[in-house]
Amino acid sequence: MGKRSIVVLALVLVALAALAVPGESQAPIKIGVIEPLSGPVAASGNYVRMGAEIARDWLNAKGGIGGRKIDLLIEDNKSDPKEAASAAEKLIVRDKVPAIMGAWGSSMTLAAMPKLEEYGVPMVVETSSAASITKRGNPWIFRISPPSEMEALGLEQYVDKLGVKRVDFLAVNTDWGRGAITAFGDMLTKKGATVGAKEFMDQSATDMNAQITKIKATGGDTLFLTTAVEQITLVMKQAQEQRLGRKIVTTGGSSSPTQLIKQAGAAAEGSYHIVFFMPWFPESMPDGKLAKAFVDEWAKRGHPSEGLTEGFRGHDGIATIAEAIRVAGKDDPKAVREALWNVSLMGVNGPIKFDKDGPAGKESGQSRPSIFVVQIRDGKVALPDFLAKK
Amino acid sequence: MTRAGGWLLAAGALTLPLWLQSPYHLHVAIMAGIFGVLAMSLNLLLGYTGQLSLGHAAFFGIGAYTSALLTLKLDWSFWPALAVAVALAALAGFFIGRLALKLRGAYFVLVTISFAGVISLVSINWIELTNGPLGLPGVPAPALGPWSFRTKTAYYYLVLAACGLSYLVCRRLVMSRIGRALVALRENEPLAESVGVDVTHYLVLAAVVSAAMAGLGGSLYAHYTRFVSPEVFLFTYTVTMVIMVVAGGKGTLAGPVVGATLFTVLPEALRAAASWQWQMLAYGVLLVLLVFFLPRGIVPWLARVMAGSQAPAEPDSPTIRR
Amino acid sequence: MAELLQHLLNGLVLGGTYALLGIGLTLIFGLMNVVNFAHGEFYTLGAYVSFAALALAGIDFFAALVVAIVAGAALGWICEVLLLRPLRSESIDTTMLVMIGVWIAMQNAELLGWGGVAKSIPHPFPTAPLVLGPVAIAPLRLFVLVLAAALIAAAWLLTQKTKLGRAMRATFQDRDTAALMGVGIGRIHAATFAFGSGLAAAAGALLGPIFLVYPSMGDLASLKAFSVVILGGLGNLPGATLGGLLLGIAEELGAGYISSGYRDAVGFVIIILVLLLRPSGLFARQERIA
Repeated sequence: MGKRSIVVLALVLVALAALAVPGESQAPIKIGVIEPLSGPVAASGNYVRMGAEIARDWLNAKGGIGGRKIDLLIEDNKSDPKEAASAAEKLIVRDKVPAIMGAWGSSMTLAAMPKLEEYGVPMVVETSSAASITKRGNPWIFRISPPSEMEALGLEQYVDKLGVKRVDFLAVNTDWGRGAITAFGDMLTKKGATVGAKEFMDQSATDMNAQITKIKATGGDTLFLTTAVEQITLVMKQAQEQRLGRKIVTTGGSSSPTQLIKQAGAAAEGSYHIVFFMPWFPESMPDGKLAKAFVDEWAKRGHPSEGLTEGFRGHDGIATIAEAIRVAGKDDPKAVREALWNVSLMGVNGPIKFDKDGPAGKESGQSRPSIFVVQIRDGKVALPDFLAKK
Repeated sequence: MTRAGGWLLAAGALTLPLWLQSPYHLHVAIMAGIFGVLAMSLNLLLGYTGQLSLGHAAFFGIGAYTSALLTLKLDWSFWPALAVAVALAALAGFFIGRLALKLRGAYFVLVTISFAGVISLVSINWIELTNGPLGLPGVPAPALGPWSFRTKTAYYYLVLAACGLSYLVCRRLVMSRIGRALVALRENEPLAESVGVDVTHYLVLAAVVSAAMAGLGGSLYAHYTRFVSPEVFLFTYTVTMVIMVVAGGKGTLAGPVVGATLFTVLPEALRAAASWQWQMLAYGVLLVLLVFFLPRGIVPWLARVMAGSQAPAEPDSPTIRR
Repeated sequence: MAELLQHLLNGLVLGGTYALLGIGLTLIFGLMNVVNFAHGEFYTLGAYVSFAALALAGIDFFAALVVAIVAGAALGWICEVLLLRPLRSESIDTTMLVMIGVWIAMQNAELLGWGGVAKSIPHPFPTAPLVLGPVAIAPLRLFVLVLAAALIAAAWLLTQKTKLGRAMRATFQDRDTAALMGVGIGRIHAATFAFGSGLAAAAGALLGPIFLVYPSMGDLASLKAFSVVILGGLGNLPGATLGGLLLGIAEELGAGYISSGYRDAVGFVIIILVLLLRPSGLFARQERIA
């Protein structure tokens, strides 16, 4: 047997060994986490993971739940729906978790949903924005992030103050971007604004000059931008190069204004951002003390401050699941699901409590998260000018 | 591969659900089977005609979407939907095959990549048809009369049957006159032509069968995961198929199946063996090591070992290996 | 009209970046016949090295560019000697597979080492755009375009006019004869791969400040590079350059006048049409080797 055989043997042994190890059942309470930890949105997935870890450590420092420590089982869905489903299967069957948090992107979440129903395990959705997630009649889904429609409603009260008359849209060509265009387009049309261009960019695109040139030609006054912070940076820089010169409003909460200031600099000046956490003024959050504590702990761990606007989702998701397990009194999936309907807790974003959403008899849970608008002024994040002038 | 070994393997495969109790393991087995069909389909092109199709995910995706749309939107039963999915994928393969008339090597590769790219963008942008990035959730499970294939065990047997069928089709094709012509094409095209092998005819045939098989894999995938989204056209699916075929042993019949099994089990095994930070890095390193030590692939190496000879590798001979 | 001119200018700049990506790969793929899926990773490496040099070590922009090129070339040399040389007698698919492994390993190593957050590379150019009549262009992009042209010219000169270049072309035209004539085959292979990888790293260091640096930035770059190389004719440096420009302008006009959602589809359709009409690439007329 030469060295080649050894390599093959090693591979086979790794495969067998890993499959042969049975799932362990021990004292700690296991909670599954499925996030995109590699691939193009790895940054966001990792921020959520970091927030989840803070929640776990805080809970364990207080003795865990019912004296049992919490253990997070973290899986990577590699931004691939097939992997999200496999990860869910592994967590449920091998690791026997009573609940899962995930899976960041809407198509990942949708792919994992059949597994939840198959085995009867609840999942708390912390980021996905597609409306269909809670409307499909899957009673194992509980979402704490806002669908695009809710987000648009959150902005409605400011539309007149913002002075939006002719709006153009530029969004990433995914369910998130498209959903935002539909939701915000409907809301703005109802408020009397006219919609001009609706342009898209591929998720991995880096050059948006063509779209910007087209938008420039419409003569609108506001550009609504929905994508992740890297592409927002690029759009702003390229818009500055082409002298687009109009109001920019970003939606979706993944804009990380801190990072924009660092990387887009003057190009980001004056832009508005819809966020779900304001780490720059934590005292203004519904639970100021909790928000401040989260910001401090994040800094203490040396995590990049750009990640706060997404990391809190991980904290709130885990806190919700933990509270449900506490209320249920045991880490059994069906009991946890029942308990989720009865939880009422304070997250970093604000109060979390689930309303029924979707077809009667098979409702999913949807919470009503708080929605905020901030602005980048003088190179810093501030309350929007139309609010500060009061 | 001895006869006894073959029967043992078949027996093992047939009784798998009995001794592989965990549904998670069965899930892995089902995915391995689906990718086995896909790998065998790519092997027909890559291994036997020598033409690399890096757009193979397009046929896979066309099969998946067709099957899903027919059963979801038009309420068709699984079996006719499957037939249409296979037919549409075969049609796409015919289209690509005819393009191949003019192109070889890298140029053919680029056309296949571009074709897959266009189909992918259509699936994202043609919302009315495909629902765009939101995908098609709720694809129904297949049913045969009163029996539903919803359970994993039932679906496993469906996939196993498909695998067996694909293997038989490949084997018949490869062992026949057509197969010999394909290999002649691969080894020395001008010579083959001079001896009267109708190059275009055989290339197109190979492309059609290959695409049809990939469409079969796509349909099976859609009805198992019950969710189809534009991600099926992701380049990583094609890359995975390539890895399976080449690492398993291209140009052999068993190679793709071995490759599919190994490279479906490996990422899942890494999930259990390594924490998330190291999984993909380990995967890449293991792949490099595997290619380095077994450059022809696993099955050719196994064949040599079992034949008892450790002689230095001879150049690829035109004979068809089991 | 102003819109069209801006689109054309955008396309030219975009095409220049594609050309820069293509020239390194046309040597590796065109000459050495290695399907280098890791080409995009050398691009990414160049960007990260430049970032490290500029943001962490504080050296100036041009020195950082040189460091990036050296790093890319060095890693390329190592790759060739360790992985490709032992597999040289194997089929093209085997070398392709090994480079796929390198691609996966490198990208995930970068993710592990640098994290997934995008990095911004500081640069010494003003951000205010240069206004030329109805169109505008950023000084940084203009600089990158000029430097890309210089790099392409330098690469072409090296392959055409120097002894090393002649040795390279000889080796890949007919290895045995070249060996008989005293060319060190092993060194030439390593040097060619290093040269191509160095060019990729240069592209990364130049484009990093424009586009931001993150671990998966190389995937799109690889795809565009392959398209450009095949379009322009394998091993054909001027062909790759023109192919890059053509692709960039086509994509830009397609996104501007047809649909931004189908932007890349326009590029793909153009590629298919070109290959149907000219099966050996745009510039098949020219010699296959450089």
